[in-house]
Amino acid sequence: MRPRPFFLCFFLPSLAAALLLVAALGEIAQYAFRVFTPGSLEVGGFTLDNFARLARPIYLSVLGDTLLISLATSLFTLLLSYPVAYAMVRAKSDFLRSLIMLLAVTPLFTGEIVRTYAWILVLGSNGFVNTVLKSAGLIGAPLGLLYTRFGVIVALVQFSMPVMIIILATTLAHVDRNCERAAANLGAGPAQVFRHVTLPLTLPGVVSGTVVIFAWTMSAFSTPQLIGGGKVLMISNLVYLQGLSSFNFPFAAVLSLLALAVAMGSLGSIRPFVSRLELKAAIN
Amino acid sequence: MKAQALPAVELTRVSKNFDAVQAVRELSLTIRKGELLTLLGPSGCGKTTLLNMIAGFEVPSGGSIVIDGRDVTAVPPYRRETGMVFQSYALFPHMNVFENVAFGLRMRKMAKVAIERAVGRALEMVKLEGFASRRVGQLSGGQQQRVALARAIVIGPKVLLLDEPLSALDKNLRRAMQLELRELHERSGLTTVFVTHDQEEALGLSDRIVVMSRGEIQQVAAPLELYRSPANGFVASFIGEINRLPPARCRIEGEEALFEIAGNVVLRARRREKLTIAEGQETHLFVRPEHLTIATGKSSAQNKVSCRVTTHLYQGVYTLTRVDAGPLGNLQLRALGGEVIAAAPIGSQIEIDIDLDEAVILAG
Amino acid sequence: MSARLARGLRASLFWGPVALILVYMTIPAFVVLMTSISPSELLEFPPSGFSFRWYERAFSYPDFQNAFVNGLIVTAFASSLSLLIGSAFAYLVDRYVFAGRAALEAVLASPLIIPHFTTGFGFLLLGADLGLGQSYAVVIATHVVLTLPFVSRTVYVSLRNLDPALERAATNLGASPFEVLRRVTLPLLRPGMVGGWLLAAILSLTEFTASLYVTAQRTQTLPVAMYTYVREYTDPTIAAISALLIIFTTALMLLANRYLGLRRILAIDAH
Repeated sequence: MRPRPFFLCFFLPSLAAALLLVAALGEIAQYAFRVFTPGSLEVGGFTLDNFARLARPIYLSVLGDTLLISLATSLFTLLLSYPVAYAMVRAKSDFLRSLIMLLAVTPLFTGEIVRTYAWILVLGSNGFVNTVLKSAGLIGAPLGLLYTRFGVIVALVQFSMPVMIIILATTLAHVDRNCERAAANLGAGPAQVFRHVTLPLTLPGVVSGTVVIFAWTMSAFSTPQLIGGGKVLMISNLVYLQGLSSFNFPFAAVLSLLALAVAMGSLGSIRPFVSRLELKAAIN
Repeated sequence: MKAQALPAVELTRVSKNFDAVQAVRELSLTIRKGELLTLLGPSGCGKTTLLNMIAGFEVPSGGSIVIDGRDVTAVPPYRRETGMVFQSYALFPHMNVFENVAFGLRMRKMAKVAIERAVGRALEMVKLEGFASRRVGQLSGGQQQRVALARAIVIGPKVLLLDEPLSALDKNLRRAMQLELRELHERSGLTTVFVTHDQEEALGLSDRIVVMSRGEIQQVAAPLELYRSPANGFVASFIGEINRLPPARCRIEGEEALFEIAGNVVLRARRREKLTIAEGQETHLFVRPEHLTIATGKSSAQNKVSCRVTTHLYQGVYTLTRVDAGPLGNLQLRALGGEVIAAAPIGSQIEIDIDLDEAVILAG
Repeated sequence: MSARLARGLRASLFWGPVALILVYMTIPAFVVLMTSISPSELLEFPPSGFSFRWYERAFSYPDFQNAFVNGLIVTAFASSLSLLIGSAFAYLVDRYVFAGRAALEAVLASPLIIPHFTTGFGFLLLGADLGLGQSYAVVIATHVVLTLPFVSRTVYVSLRNLDPALERAATNLGASPFEVLRRVTLPLLRPGMVGGWLLAAILSLTEFTASLYVTAQRTQTLPVAMYTYVREYTDPTIAAISALLIIFTTALMLLANRYLGLRRILAIDAH
């Protein structure tokens, strides 16, 4: 019997897909080093100018904003997701657990544009929040929630929560309940059980989840685009402006590479750290 | 006059229902201070549920639990002063041995120096001196079990609860640990409740055994009494090996009791004072394998029965022999050594003697 | 205070905030649905009545109709291709060891961390330089690459759960490798493959950012068309289309869950 009966016919399509992706990324890398001719799609010869352009304060501030928003989003997402993940794993009734999972995970699949638009409806000056606050008599004039970093973060947190909840729920499900009972038996109240047992044992998931959300938020586009309305710029919006508005492909390519580098860098850097944490918590 | 010592644990009419299932039914039990009590029964009998109720992980549906004079029925587990060793040990994987054992003392806000001393002593007690800085994942099963023990003992609990702690160990290690547990109990004097489904283990370790079935107590007695005088058919079959004979009608003739079994077999036994069986009443007879012997021609045995040898199970110290005894059904004999295998080969017809004087006789 | 009251208070201290957080997570969908049935043109809340006119408008708007058809074409091809390649790749990773396997795995998993705008931009450039412009082929290729990691992971999990003894039994009884694949492996993998296919379909239908780059006016998918619409008009038509998408993808999700058993796959059932 042949040792590898289907190897070739399974390998070739996979290789083809991989090569396509590599080619696409290669194009970006290639364009990053070319001279941009304003008003034309043709690019010139080799240059490092595009990289140098990154150092301009306006672009650096966009990078800074992106990092800030990503960081804030990942931290708030963690804070709000942990209780929901805990409820989803530990709720006593099957129905509750399934309900929470449905509410938490389904929004993930409705698509960026739908979810961003929904937030416009919620945050707009005639939107949900303002109408409710106005009819409750709490405000006179509508709050300006759109076109602010705050609005973008609020929407981004809600975007990211399903992914974080899934990661945290998986981690929580693997905590040995008997360890928690043992702690209670030894005199630890519920808060102490959480602090000394549950939290430390879920730490690997917490750290990797936070970094995943951080990297994911770095690449958010439609939310800052529509809710930021041009006033809040993240790297993705800059790429769009440069690439599809100014047709400055080379610079857009550089920005793309930068975003890619930061995403991969942050994910790669925590890998050894998370492995060590997992070892400590004896996760197999 | 000696004052009555307060019992360690007093369970009064305790019951537990899970939806429609009654795991524990209206059970009352007194656990004496300093004793090693075993909850014994098949899986599903409610013994683990009972243990969890004493620890506080399950709230009783009815009844009360009093530990050392204090009603703890509504008290959460972290305020009950019980020490529990879980079946899976449940050691904290992110702490080393010292931190594991010290955990309960930290919760009680003991001073650092006092903790170090207490942990050192506890580790000595379980023969794990020098293991303090080891990580839990590096320990063998037996060592993990001892850490779990030390952790539960060091807090000086009012009751030590052990949930099938030896079931994960292999046979030889189990034997060794049973001896060590017994010694530990003698030295520490802690009231201990032990849960197991292994009746040999229970017989060997306990001061008293509580045999449970389907949520109810079948019998509470010391091991010797349990083996010799089981209260009913369930206990008789559960403890040790036993042969259950077909129902017999009882007739009294002077100093003897005669038992008539279908098929015209009559067995005789000396009459006992404790036996209160009415004339003609149906009785159940249980005979231990060691009380069945192969009759040699010379013996003046009372109850000789013909049978055919079907199997031998050699066990080293003794051999278990199975025979087909006709109207009496299949019986098991136990004989020392392995000579019986040659003396009574498979398929041969032999005569066995049934010693009913030691048998368990139950009415009805 | 009685123990039961204390427990009840503690429980509400936990469930109260959790309920609020869940409300926060579902408010947008709720608001979209409410707005889509509002009779007035302004984005207002609460809606003053009940009307389906925006749904009518959404259905009759030619750009949406074309975009919907485009979306179906792209998704049908992309998810099917993704299923074929992803399943093949999962099988490869599960069964074979070969040089460069780790690299191949890394490359095909990378769309999970590469920003969608980078992938989209890259394929735009690639399409331009290959002379394909913004044709369906480029869009489909982009969607295939984006959905591949999800499909192959789903099928891989199914493969891991397959009892190897079953295939060995088939071989022992005389089946050739091809027959084993056809009569034992594939039928047993079917739930995982269907689930993966549905997952790819949902992701492809709702994908926006990369599609924004690789589609043209003529090939734009529904999310892109919605984006164009929102920049020009501000009436609730977009709410109606969003509501439809939400309902449709939720239904597909429930269907995928039936085949995949998401709770099991994500291993979030507590032991």
